[in-house]
Amino acid sequence: MAQVFRPAANTIAVLVMAFLGAMPVLAVGPGYTLMKSPYVTNQSVTRTQPVPFSHAHHVGSLGLDCRYCHTSVSTARFASVPPTETCMTCHSQLWTNAQMLAPVRKSLATNTPIRWQRVHVLPDYVYFDHSIHIAKGVGCSTCHGEVDRMPLMRQAAPLTMGWCLDCHRHPEKAVRPRDKVFDMAWTPPPDQIAKGRQLMTEYHIDTAHLTDCSKCHR
Amino acid sequence: MKSTTIQVEGGRQFSRRDALQVLAAHMTLALAGCSKPAEEIVPYVTMPEGLTPGEPLKFATAVPIGGYGVGVLAISIDGRPIKIEGNPKHPDSLGSTDAFAEAAVMSLYDPDRSRTPTLHGSFSSWDAFGAALLAQLKKHRQNGGEGLRLLTGRITSPTLLRQIDDILVRFPQARWHVHEPIDENVERQGSALAFGRAMHSIPSIEKAEVVLCLDADPLGPGPSQIQNAHRWIQSRDPKRPEHFMRTYVAESTLTPTGIKADHRVALHPNGITDLSIAISNLFGAGLPEPTLSNAAKRFVNACGADLGAHTGRAVVLAGRTLPAEVHALVHWLNAALNAPIAFVEPFDQSASHEPAALRPLVEALHGGRVDALVVIDTNVGYDAPADLALAAALPKAAFSVHLGCYADETAKLCQWHLPQTHFLEGWSDLRGFDGSATIVQPLIRPLYATRSAHELLTMVAGEEKLSYDLVRDTWRPRVTMPFEDWWRQVLHDGVIPETAAQRISVAPPQRPQFPRGSASGEFTLVLSPDPSTWDGRYANSPWLQECPKPISKEVWGNALVVHQEDAARLHLTTGDVVRLSAQNHTLESPVLVSSHGARGVIHLSLGYGRTRAGAIGNSIGVSAYTLRWSDALWTTEVTIKKLNDRREVLTTQNYVRLAGEARDLFPIRLLDDARKVAGAKREGSLPSLYPPAIADTYAWGMVIDTAACIGCNACVVACQAENNVPVVGPEEIARGRDMHWLRVDIYDHGTDGALKAGFQPVPCMHCENAPCEPVCPVAASVHDSEGLNAQVYNRCVGTRFCEANCPYKVRRFNFFGYADGQEYANLGADTIKAQHNPEVSTRQRGVMEKCTYCVQRISRARRDAKREERTIVDGEVVTACQSACPTRAISFGNLNDKTSAVSAVKGEARQYALLEHLNTRPRTTYLADIRNQGVLKGEPS
Repeated sequence: MAQVFRPAANTIAVLVMAFLGAMPVLAVGPGYTLMKSPYVTNQSVTRTQPVPFSHAHHVGSLGLDCRYCHTSVSTARFASVPPTETCMTCHSQLWTNAQMLAPVRKSLATNTPIRWQRVHVLPDYVYFDHSIHIAKGVGCSTCHGEVDRMPLMRQAAPLTMGWCLDCHRHPEKAVRPRDKVFDMAWTPPPDQIAKGRQLMTEYHIDTAHLTDCSKCHR
Repeated sequence: MKSTTIQVEGGRQFSRRDALQVLAAHMTLALAGCSKPAEEIVPYVTMPEGLTPGEPLKFATAVPIGGYGVGVLAISIDGRPIKIEGNPKHPDSLGSTDAFAEAAVMSLYDPDRSRTPTLHGSFSSWDAFGAALLAQLKKHRQNGGEGLRLLTGRITSPTLLRQIDDILVRFPQARWHVHEPIDENVERQGSALAFGRAMHSIPSIEKAEVVLCLDADPLGPGPSQIQNAHRWIQSRDPKRPEHFMRTYVAESTLTPTGIKADHRVALHPNGITDLSIAISNLFGAGLPEPTLSNAAKRFVNACGADLGAHTGRAVVLAGRTLPAEVHALVHWLNAALNAPIAFVEPFDQSASHEPAALRPLVEALHGGRVDALVVIDTNVGYDAPADLALAAALPKAAFSVHLGCYADETAKLCQWHLPQTHFLEGWSDLRGFDGSATIVQPLIRPLYATRSAHELLTMVAGEEKLSYDLVRDTWRPRVTMPFEDWWRQVLHDGVIPETAAQRISVAPPQRPQFPRGSASGEFTLVLSPDPSTWDGRYANSPWLQECPKPISKEVWGNALVVHQEDAARLHLTTGDVVRLSAQNHTLESPVLVSSHGARGVIHLSLGYGRTRAGAIGNSIGVSAYTLRWSDALWTTEVTIKKLNDRREVLTTQNYVRLAGEARDLFPIRLLDDARKVAGAKREGSLPSLYPPAIADTYAWGMVIDTAACIGCNACVVACQAENNVPVVGPEEIARGRDMHWLRVDIYDHGTDGALKAGFQPVPCMHCENAPCEPVCPVAASVHDSEGLNAQVYNRCVGTRFCEANCPYKVRRFNFFGYADGQEYANLGADTIKAQHNPEVSTRQRGVMEKCTYCVQRISRARRDAKREERTIVDGEVVTACQSACPTRAISFGNLNDKTSAVSAVKGEARQYALLEHLNTRPRTTYLADIRNQGVLKGEPS
């Protein structure tokens, strides 16, 4: 009887088995890369909004403070997106006929909210609190990037858990003086690590328990 | 090859190629569906004042329970009411709640609430009803209201009473009837016999040192439960042993008060009548001496001597099952004892119009004298006594209207059904058990096209006014200070000052003459309000249906409780179905055998067997109203016949008597020993391989005082509301699955007929050496630095090893998506999601969950403290169970703070840990139960 397998079959079988064994290990690298890629994290994705609101114009050019619109950022979990009437405090006087602002005027006239596309989406099991980060000297631009240069809002940071933990383990890299928290132009000084450590002592930031699961998850 | 085609409807051929195309299209869609859904942010157009997105707001209001208002603080997040907590300023709440108040928030979102007016069951509109009512009223304006009848439940709302008064003045021939299935008629008849006038009595249990309960259950469910529990625990403070109250209980069925009693005797209601005569005779009543059993005699002598020794500090309470004459006799006895009892005028009737009962209405209906009937918020079609045959009478009204939150049994019997506004949606006012008034304020705009009772009555009165204006109009003339200031203040406080009913001084009571009652039937059926559904109105509450009843631990039903000796005689075991018959009415119910009732007494609770409650409450249990007569509401003589049928009685705890172990798991101490350290306290801790607890931050710990726990279940429902704990439904309960993060166990280490029992709430113990942690293969069960045993839902793969290794059995597994796509009945409806606490994750199928010590509340306090650069102060973190507890049995706080309240309680001699020998070092520990036994010491209580 003729041989069922050719001699090359041995080599092929070994290669197949080796590949099956190695694949899970080899898949880890691409897997992690995929997880951290903007494709998954939505980093740098710009979304289409009902009104093309420009932070670059309002913050960068006009110099509005973050808290003019995001009123609860230093007191509550959510920074809050402003109600239509906040827009209309200025736009009832300025650009009152601009086509671009028609949805805003319509919102006020018909008492229907503007439906903004959410840019920074954390999973529902993450309980992030803006106010505590503000209180401890974490600036807006640390996570949200150079908002004053964004014509349309995009997500500057990957917002992955590893990215969160990086800062929770080493806050000295990010902590800045409290009076600079809303300062978009702030850049870390050359001795940031030393300054950051000093501020951590001043602001009572203790990293010993900052990575407990229950700090962010409930 | 023959092509495979299928003829589809319309004659089109469906080929293999078409099938593949459809398959490919589906796969593409399924893959495309994997991407993250886009989320929207929808801000307000105009921001409401004082609102911050995601931050809770508290509003003082009142929950109606049986017509009385229990003052509460309702918590709203982003405009959605999500939780109800006690109002410390309200005398009926004092910061605590009961199970009904906790569950009230769920009823707002009940998908079964009626949403639109109906006429003969078909959709109609308020305008159509308005037109029909107008035609009807035209007739009544001419005849002075002849044939116009108003039927309501108990009404304490000053505004509603004012409106009814107004209608009765406009239509002098109209009549107002009140039907409340769980009423106080016997009590009032008793005070009428004793004092010549019907009164409402409020015993000051907190001043008493001896309390005798004659089939009375002050610690049982009801509008006065919270207040009674507060008073009761005040008089049972082990730090003041010389004033520690002693409770004597003679009862026909086992109640929470009986469980907590120092001395208890189980007797037939007639036996309790005899016992009350015998005790009164010790104080010179001079009634014919009844014959008593030896046990009852010893009870009478001991109790009588104790009462006599505590004149001025002794109270006797009589329950619903006893006749009015016994209530009158108890008034006489209380007067002889100079008991601290306050009497107040009943405030559930208007000053000028006393309501009529249900019977005259039924007679008028049968006599064709009712032209128009307006039924407001009462379900007579279900809960009227059987002898009135209301279902036959109600359709005889020419024009009938029913206003209620549900299209219930009564709605079916009326022509018009009108949807009623929920109390969280509209303005009203209510009086508490002591008469204190509260403005009921809305937290949310009505979800559906509903109107309140106030608005319906304005329509009947022929005008249209908003509830808000009506309530303000009621109070404006009674206020001396600037009204708007006053209004803001009472809305903020949740109680209107100086509105408690005026206490009246009474003449010495008459000693009644009464005939001896005698049991004629084979068995006496004792009815009682149900701790889950009350009179049936909460039957559609999933939380309450699944809340284990305090004593039987039964859920989703009401089994007939039969004494084990009677059961043995009739060859009955738990689950056997029996037929009860009395006066041509029959009822078939499964049996639950118990050892602690009175022989010859069987017990059934009201509130089940609903047919039109909704998706949750329909066809659950049996309706005890079938065997209820209007002349004897609480006891009925019945005969029993065993049927060849079985029905499962669903319970969450099996009644097992653990001879030795119960003493370790649930020690009961005598008062004299309460402050002594029992046995040799173990010095230091046992050796362990676990890492030591972290000591440089907070160490959260809990102590539960079992001596204070009355098993009321307020904590269980509070936990469910706070932590988004799902309901699993009866089928899953039958498989032994439930989801409560906090359960209340009942222990009994007495003997048959001699009870020695108590309640033990069991949340997660948050063991320092937690057995659940090392067995988890994915580190989903981990400790945090503050001692919390955290469950990381996203890591959990559902091995259930942790559940198997937990000695306390507090871990709960989502066998199905109970909260995530596979909800029981209609609990997946969108409205239900609005109740969920946004601060707590809902858990998905296949993950383990358990008590977190309300980590979201700890986190909030920690962030608040850190923002203000301070540490969390003692009392800043209050867990949901702790805040609900009416006896303050639960202490919670930081054990590393030696001055904290919980540290002080941890140091008490009564403290013990569950299964201490396992060296799990639980953070939750207990204080042993206490019995204060007097001369009967040593005898089983």
